[in-house]
Amino acid sequence: MSTYVDNFPEEAAIVRKAFYTSFVFLALGGVFGLIQTLHRTDFLRFMDSADYYTVLTAHGVFLVIAFTIFFLVGVFTWAVTTSLDRGLEDLRLTKLWFGLMSAGGLAAAITILSGFVGDAPILGALDADVLFTFYTPLEAHPLFYIGLVVFVIGTWVAGADWIRTWWSWRKDNPNERIPLPTFMVITTMIMWYIATLGVAIAIIVFILPWSLGLVESVNPLLTRTLFWYFGHPVVYFWLMPAYMMWYLLLPKLAGGRLFSDPLARVVFVLFLLLSTPVGIHHQYLDPGISEGFKFIAMTNTMFLLLPSFLTAFTVVASMEHGARQNGGTGYLSWLGALPWRDPAFTGMALAGLMFAAGGFSGMVNAGMNINYLVHNSLWVPGHFHLTVGTAVALTFMAGAYWFLPQLTGNKLWSRPLAVGQTVIWFIGMSFMSNAMHRAGLIGMPRRTAEPQYENFGFDAGVGSVAELDAQIALGGALLTVSLLLFFVVIAMTAFNGDSDYTESNSIPTPLSGPEDAPQVLDNLKLWTILAIVLVIIAYSLPLASIIDGRGLFGPGIEPFDPIPFSVVSTTLELTAEHVTGVIR
Amino acid sequence: MRVSKAGLMVLLAFVVPLTVELRTVLAWFNVELTVLESVLVGLAVIAAIVVWATRPPKDEPSAASQ
Repeated sequence: MSTYVDNFPEEAAIVRKAFYTSFVFLALGGVFGLIQTLHRTDFLRFMDSADYYTVLTAHGVFLVIAFTIFFLVGVFTWAVTTSLDRGLEDLRLTKLWFGLMSAGGLAAAITILSGFVGDAPILGALDADVLFTFYTPLEAHPLFYIGLVVFVIGTWVAGADWIRTWWSWRKDNPNERIPLPTFMVITTMIMWYIATLGVAIAIIVFILPWSLGLVESVNPLLTRTLFWYFGHPVVYFWLMPAYMMWYLLLPKLAGGRLFSDPLARVVFVLFLLLSTPVGIHHQYLDPGISEGFKFIAMTNTMFLLLPSFLTAFTVVASMEHGARQNGGTGYLSWLGALPWRDPAFTGMALAGLMFAAGGFSGMVNAGMNINYLVHNSLWVPGHFHLTVGTAVALTFMAGAYWFLPQLTGNKLWSRPLAVGQTVIWFIGMSFMSNAMHRAGLIGMPRRTAEPQYENFGFDAGVGSVAELDAQIALGGALLTVSLLLFFVVIAMTAFNGDSDYTESNSIPTPLSGPEDAPQVLDNLKLWTILAIVLVIIAYSLPLASIIDGRGLFGPGIEPFDPIPFSVVSTTLELTAEHVTGVIR
Repeated sequence: MRVSKAGLMVLLAFVVPLTVELRTVLAWFNVELTVLESVLVGLAVIAAIVVWATRPPKDEPSAASQ
């Protein structure tokens, strides 16, 4: 019965650093979120509208790349070491990946923030106002792309660190099933390795040489497609740690046990298989990709609902089991027996509830015909503020209330304030995302500081556009209050050194354990091969078609290094010709 | 109380998205509420929940009857 920091003091120090780094990015991203909300809704403007894109880039990259991923590497380190009951194999490797991620994140952050200050001494303009998606032909300073690459390499090394630790455990436990938390980490990382290949190729082969002036142009459709090859699974890279916390922590906090270990394994295998071959659903309106390929992507995307529904069932069943252990009765009255006083539980439960709403708006995004109505409208930010902005962010914040005492040995400072923080986030996001969805339905665009036009007015349908703006601004203000409370609670807990926290770091055994799961679920080689095959099926023809249509580096532009690229290009062109001939 | 204070707070928070969405849903039935009317409806629901939550449970005698 000891805390994580008692068992793994060195790993706890690394996890703490990862968490604190993520919180710094959360604070910065949150400030920029408030600024853009107030600017866009015209409630408070103190910057030029041109700077909106610097703010928007910072908000996006700091929150959905830096905050989320720094936090999840901490959670994954905790999960592997706790479930294998052993420390990481080589802490030098651990420090290496943390250093790489920090250096990469810092480089990208410097370039983004330099958008506010103009030319830097010696280096000149470092701007990176390219938003989270860095679509070409928008061009950032090379340091931005280098930072992203170094950051991603850091995550690759982190994955190697966890896999190496698992291999070492497996040598000592040859006949044991992979412990569920480690299984979740490994499947997520295999998905991440497959997914990041797309963005790595996009940056290293095309965008970085272009930003360095080594090649004259890029094929925007190709780099966009490679981005979304990575861009959708990155959503699951954020979500799968949140799912992990719902599977592992919610039942424990509710006083029960996970309903089914086998179902949880099935869910993570399905995410490994289905997360990547769906990215083209972000490109329904892109010209140059045939409708047939988009239809295949839509079909794949709809299959992704299955693991989410399985998760909803398993997690709610586990919570109900816990509530009934605590005296809960009736069809719904058991909800009252859940530990709502615990901010970790309340935050995660509310996050899960909001994720259900995000899932429904996601189905609209995923449907080709309905997507045309909301594409590039404010509906889309409304959707992802429910998913990554609440299901992930609120789960991570709530999780921090459980993790930080485990990592420091300090008691959580002010539980009531922490519960209030999670509830205020829920209320703020209810206001903001509802208005964003409704504004999107009437065609209000996203990614602009000036959503209103002269001699044109949006018809709000219900109420007025001014009311929608007010609702968005109110929501943004409440979210900022919630963030402030979060940082107060976290800071006070981190310095709450006089307290004595003794809750065990153990994870209760599931009601239906790994012995009930078919052995094939642990065959990670099989799932990896299947995942790669699905990616090849989903992407080979569209990529061949895109390259056939516009070339590797855009129309009429010769590649920088003609020898290797011409070989690749000729091969792909021949393949594409053959393939398009077959399709026609 | 029928629910804990924290449980009550979560229940009241849940009223917010319901009230916000109610305005849109009612518009489908040609019932258009102003912001003020929506706020009043929300407050009425919150008041009803608070009254329900602060009453003693059915199996517990109230203070007045003791």
